[in-house]
Amino acid sequence: MYVELQNINKKFGSYQAADNISFSIEKGKLIGLLGPSGSGKTTILRMIAGLETPDSGDIMIDGSRVNDLPASHRGIGFVFQNYALFRYMTVFDNIAFGLEVQKNDKAYIKQRVSELIKLIGLEGLEKRRPHQISGGQKQRVAFARALAANPHLLLLDEPFAAIDAKVRKELRTWLRETINKIGITSIFVTHDQDEAVEVADEIIITNSGRIEQIGTPMDIYKNPATPFAAKFIGESITVENYGRFHGFEMDESYDKAVLRPEFVRVTKTENELYSHTSERGTVEGVFFRGNMLELRLSVSGINIFTYRSLEDDVIAVGEEVNVLIYRLFLYNENKVCLVENASLKNDQMFFI
Amino acid sequence: MFYLKKLYKTRKANVIPGFGLSMGITITMLSLIVLIPLFSIFVTLSGLTFAGFWQVVTDKQTVATYKVSLSCAAVASVVNVVFGILIAWILTRYRFPFRRMLNGLIELPFALPTAVAGIALTTLYSDQGWIGGFFDKIGVKISYTTTGIVIAMIFIGIPFVVRSIQPVLEKLDPQYEEAAAALGASRFRIFLKVVFPEILPAALAGFGLAFARSIGEYGSVVFIAGNIPYETQITPLIIMNKLEQFNYTAATSIALVMVIFAFILLFGINLIQARINKIARG
Amino acid sequence: MKQKIIKLSLILLGVAFLTIMLILPLATVLLYAFRQGWETFLKAVTDEYAIKALHLTLLITVITVIVNTAFGIFAAWTIAKFRFRGKQALATLIDIPFSISPVIAGLVFILVFGRIGWTYPLLEAWDVKIVFAVPGIVLATIFVTFPFVSRELIPLMQSQGSDEEEAAALMGAKGLHIFRKVTFPHIKWGLLYGIILCTARALGEFGAVSVVSGHLRGKTNTLPLHVEILFNEFKLTASFAVSSMLVLIAVIILIFRNIVEYRVKKEGR
Repeated sequence: MYVELQNINKKFGSYQAADNISFSIEKGKLIGLLGPSGSGKTTILRMIAGLETPDSGDIMIDGSRVNDLPASHRGIGFVFQNYALFRYMTVFDNIAFGLEVQKNDKAYIKQRVSELIKLIGLEGLEKRRPHQISGGQKQRVAFARALAANPHLLLLDEPFAAIDAKVRKELRTWLRETINKIGITSIFVTHDQDEAVEVADEIIITNSGRIEQIGTPMDIYKNPATPFAAKFIGESITVENYGRFHGFEMDESYDKAVLRPEFVRVTKTENELYSHTSERGTVEGVFFRGNMLELRLSVSGINIFTYRSLEDDVIAVGEEVNVLIYRLFLYNENKVCLVENASLKNDQMFFI
Repeated sequence: MFYLKKLYKTRKANVIPGFGLSMGITITMLSLIVLIPLFSIFVTLSGLTFAGFWQVVTDKQTVATYKVSLSCAAVASVVNVVFGILIAWILTRYRFPFRRMLNGLIELPFALPTAVAGIALTTLYSDQGWIGGFFDKIGVKISYTTTGIVIAMIFIGIPFVVRSIQPVLEKLDPQYEEAAAALGASRFRIFLKVVFPEILPAALAGFGLAFARSIGEYGSVVFIAGNIPYETQITPLIIMNKLEQFNYTAATSIALVMVIFAFILLFGINLIQARINKIARG
Repeated sequence: MKQKIIKLSLILLGVAFLTIMLILPLATVLLYAFRQGWETFLKAVTDEYAIKALHLTLLITVITVIVNTAFGIFAAWTIAKFRFRGKQALATLIDIPFSISPVIAGLVFILVFGRIGWTYPLLEAWDVKIVFAVPGIVLATIFVTFPFVSRELIPLMQSQGSDEEEAAALMGAKGLHIFRKVTFPHIKWGLLYGIILCTARALGEFGAVSVVSGHLRGKTNTLPLHVEILFNEFKLTASFAVSSMLVLIAVIILIFRNIVEYRVKKEGR
């Protein structure tokens, strides 16, 4: 394991930023620390970097305990949310900074900086100052600066938070590709789950200073380990009287359920194949979402929603439709449990 | 009134009332209290030819005062910049006993009447004073020498530099220093390459203000200087001397030199600041 | 650890500098004032000329502060809330007294109202004395402290913008009403701060007053001038005793200033 946190605790006044956190990261992986604001993810990142010190616990990098090592000696590269480019230096000097600290000779510095400028695609902009380049370009310079001195660990604090939505998507892809090309172990912090899902090899979900789940994006999505993970990833609504749905019974240990739009199937009454398992629902609203339709439905008095392709038959507001709910995530305070629609198991006999 | 109205209609119409009145009062008071009296300098000198003017302001004793004033002010202001940065740093970055009290005391040179400061400094550094006495034993005289003048000028300049730099340091985003630290830089390198460029404009502004003030200062400096011609006579003092001798022409001429110099100085400092701000903000 | 030693040395160096430069002079005044005992101190402080000087100084300060505060408000209102050509030039002109030596400030009033002044014939005709009399001292003090209030208010009012005032004006409010209800609450503390600075400087003004006053004891002597006279007569204790009154006022001013600055910072959020 390349990076290991063991029983880390950190408190700011009365706010517990890290509550007995332990996890480990393999060498060469791209890990996303995902969680809502205030969940402690940035604090964890900064503690790994050495910009904050834990109240208790150990931080190990490459087998050695680094708690007492100052940030400048940990061999890490850090990319800040607001870039933190040195305003009085050119792009070239910014990237060269770490190399100059290491007292490399001028020729080497020139070569390495040019290499990096090519990598980030900013040839010709070496002499510019930070205020003369765009947000996306600044972030790429920050990235190059962090990588220049060959760190063995790359840490990124919400690297795309300050960038326009369109540029963000491009940068995300670029970041993922570049990190894979270089092969450096990386940890980035984000509150945007689309970003985490798209960029990371593995995701660590944080909430109120604790870790909710660690796993690949697909893993967490399909098998959430905690109610928080179930609700945080993907889109969903919370349903309270889920027993009203056809094929589901109330379980007294789980008072609520998470329903994802992809668990719901809507068919026009004349096309229905699952008439024994589906139930009736009324369409309350139809909304255009750019590349598909969102349907809001009322089923047994419960409001739910789902998506429908633009290619399918038109459904109008007020229409009565057949609704089939495949599965639900039942949950209580601590546990979450996937439950399939009971009547589906019987119906399978009809499909060969 | 018509001219005022013309001035005001150059951009889109102003909605807020009271422009005419407040502008009128402002300009009237400004003219009566500042502009017209200052203009009297030119009125008084109107009878003087340029040659006559030149002779007065380049008189040997007068030139000696320029040298004393300028050199002492320069030294004092440099000392103030160095210590000003130090003090602003420790006041904003560190915690130590009496920090708040010392912070509140920085404006003392503004709050204390210049004459009181003058006599206090003179007594303190005279050969019977606490500090003066100590230095006297090792053969160094402070009061009535240029050293004394420099110390008085340092005294009055302290708030200018400290209060110029403090807000900049307070508002400085820690992420720049954190970024440099993450890149392996030592505290010293971080200060030199990251912090210093950020506070330089403010430091220059403080330097300029302290320098301009030191040159014109009278009360705090006149007692400790001793007013020995060619050695410890500062320019405001020679103006005073000429006045006492009723030599109004000479006094006014030298005053004009000082005023012109002050303008050039402030103009220069503003220019330098503007350039540095351009680099940072673009 | 090396870091701690550096930090400690920096603090010690800074504190030493401030102690020597600021605290020792203060201590000197107090020590010498009371050197010869409480009675001598009281005698110097209640001396007839000292009291007269105190009255004169206070009178001048009050007039100066009122005039400059009024000016400061009008000037800041003009510059901060309106757009017009020459705004920057006006602001620079207002700042002029700030960069002029006090001796020159006194000089120019002699050039206007003194014997060689161009208004002199008029003054003589009406038997009005300005220089070497109280009006001259007042004018010189007003000159020197002229921009103090406006310098505080202008950046403050500029940073607050004119949106609120425009909104009020569009609803039909008149100038004074807008100022009282909309602008004033925002500038309260900044205004107070400027007034405090102006007061401090007016109380202590020496150079300009020295030129213009004529030093007539009991008539045109301000407190700082009185201190000078005593000092030049080698009456050290008396000089410092009277000074200590000014020091007391200065310390009170500093305390006020700190309170106000704290409030200004709160206001800025």
